[in-house]
Amino acid sequence: MSREKCKSIAATLATATCALLGTSSFSAVHAQEEPGWEFNTALLYYGEDDDRVQDFSLSILALRNYVDDRSLSLSLTIDALTGATPLGAIPFSGPQTFTTPSGNAVFTTPANVIPLDDTFLDTRVAITASWQQPIGRLNAISTSITASKEYDYLHFGANVKFSRDFNRRNTTLSAALAYAMDEWDPTGGVPDPLSPMLDVGDLSNRAGKDDKNILDIVLGVTQVINRNFLVQLNYSFSDSSGYLNDPFKIISVVDPVTGDPLDRIPTPGVPGPSHQNVFESRPDTRTKHSVFVQGKYYMSGKVLDASYRFMTDDWGIDSHTVDLRYRWPIGQSSYIEPHVRFYSQSRADFYVGSLDGSTLAPAYASADYRLGDFDAITVGLKFGWQLTSGNKMSLRLESYVADGAVPGDLLIGNQQGNVIYPDLDAIIAQFSYSFGK
Amino acid sequence: MGVEPWERDILAKDEMQLVTDPIEAATDDHIYFSKEASSGGRGFGGGGCGCN
Repeated sequence: MSREKCKSIAATLATATCALLGTSSFSAVHAQEEPGWEFNTALLYYGEDDDRVQDFSLSILALRNYVDDRSLSLSLTIDALTGATPLGAIPFSGPQTFTTPSGNAVFTTPANVIPLDDTFLDTRVAITASWQQPIGRLNAISTSITASKEYDYLHFGANVKFSRDFNRRNTTLSAALAYAMDEWDPTGGVPDPLSPMLDVGDLSNRAGKDDKNILDIVLGVTQVINRNFLVQLNYSFSDSSGYLNDPFKIISVVDPVTGDPLDRIPTPGVPGPSHQNVFESRPDTRTKHSVFVQGKYYMSGKVLDASYRFMTDDWGIDSHTVDLRYRWPIGQSSYIEPHVRFYSQSRADFYVGSLDGSTLAPAYASADYRLGDFDAITVGLKFGWQLTSGNKMSLRLESYVADGAVPGDLLIGNQQGNVIYPDLDAIIAQFSYSFGK
Repeated sequence: MGVEPWERDILAKDEMQLVTDPIEAATDDHIYFSKEASSGGRGFGGGGCGCN
């Protein structure tokens, strides 16, 4: 047999093999020598009831793998946010007028309605660039830079993670460090903590920009238990310092007997708040510790993904989070995945429903509902399928419901029996499309 | 405890990775960071948004 004929038979066999595998000989060779980009994209709608926050979000994650296990990933997320968000002030039997966060207009909340700031409108752009590569046979390092920009908020961050495999690669230890520098720059400036909400145009209690720094350390161990079972355990430490307030959150100053907001008379001829409110005051440091454990268990094609997180911090907040997902294949190329998540947190030590106007304010106080006692549950379903091209799609629909309450010992007079805590009902809908693999 | 290198077929599947959908995980982290006083655990929990 001639050399040319041998080559011809080999080429024919290669082509036939590739045809059976559903690939092209060109792309097989091409993929090994010069991998292409993989893209994960997603469109998200997040919507809260009662015309509260609505978010339309587009995310693109581009990943490039190289033949020696190095990889580069780049991500872009754009959020368009609108809607109303609770101010922190309490409702009562009369209407209330507030100055907007920018300090240049007023709006009025009807009687017995939880006051919301409906001037919320923002666009957030976030980018991340990550590089990962092995160091020797058993070690790996990855590093990322992150940045995001909102109208009144800027974030820069960087992180690095080192991992090492042990025990025939059945055990992986990792250590990661992240540092972020964030800056608030709201219109009119950040308000002085516990200073009163003032009339339109009066910015005498504003202080321009302010910033905070966040240091995170995550230590982890991942262990292969057996062919079907994998677990991960992480300890996280987080230390924040600087301006940790939400500059838009206020607290009602109330009568010590009735519990109703105290009247306030604006400067004649100038619009201003009808009742007394002060801006919140949080400590300028916060230290958090958390333990996170996750298990993945494979059962004849089905996969159970279960995790639990405990978090505690020096603001007095403890939280428990349980997350369960069960991926159930349907045929060869699709699956459904029910998801349920339970969350429970205790309130910060300085959380209040309102402030008694007859006494000196404490050093720290916040009526932000996110620092209160509440429980939340997420229930969702995801459907995913793979196209004949190999590209993947998924659609998920979830409901997030948070229920909380201001404890009875923090309620004054008429506040008893009123709904003061702003519960939350939200819908999460996300469509994802992955291609290029 | 553990497996031999030739027993990693199931562990290598996409659905057995600790994070199967990076965008979904990042989205959820962002939502819950905005609405709750806790964050992180799986990864880093600090900064990046004026929403909290």
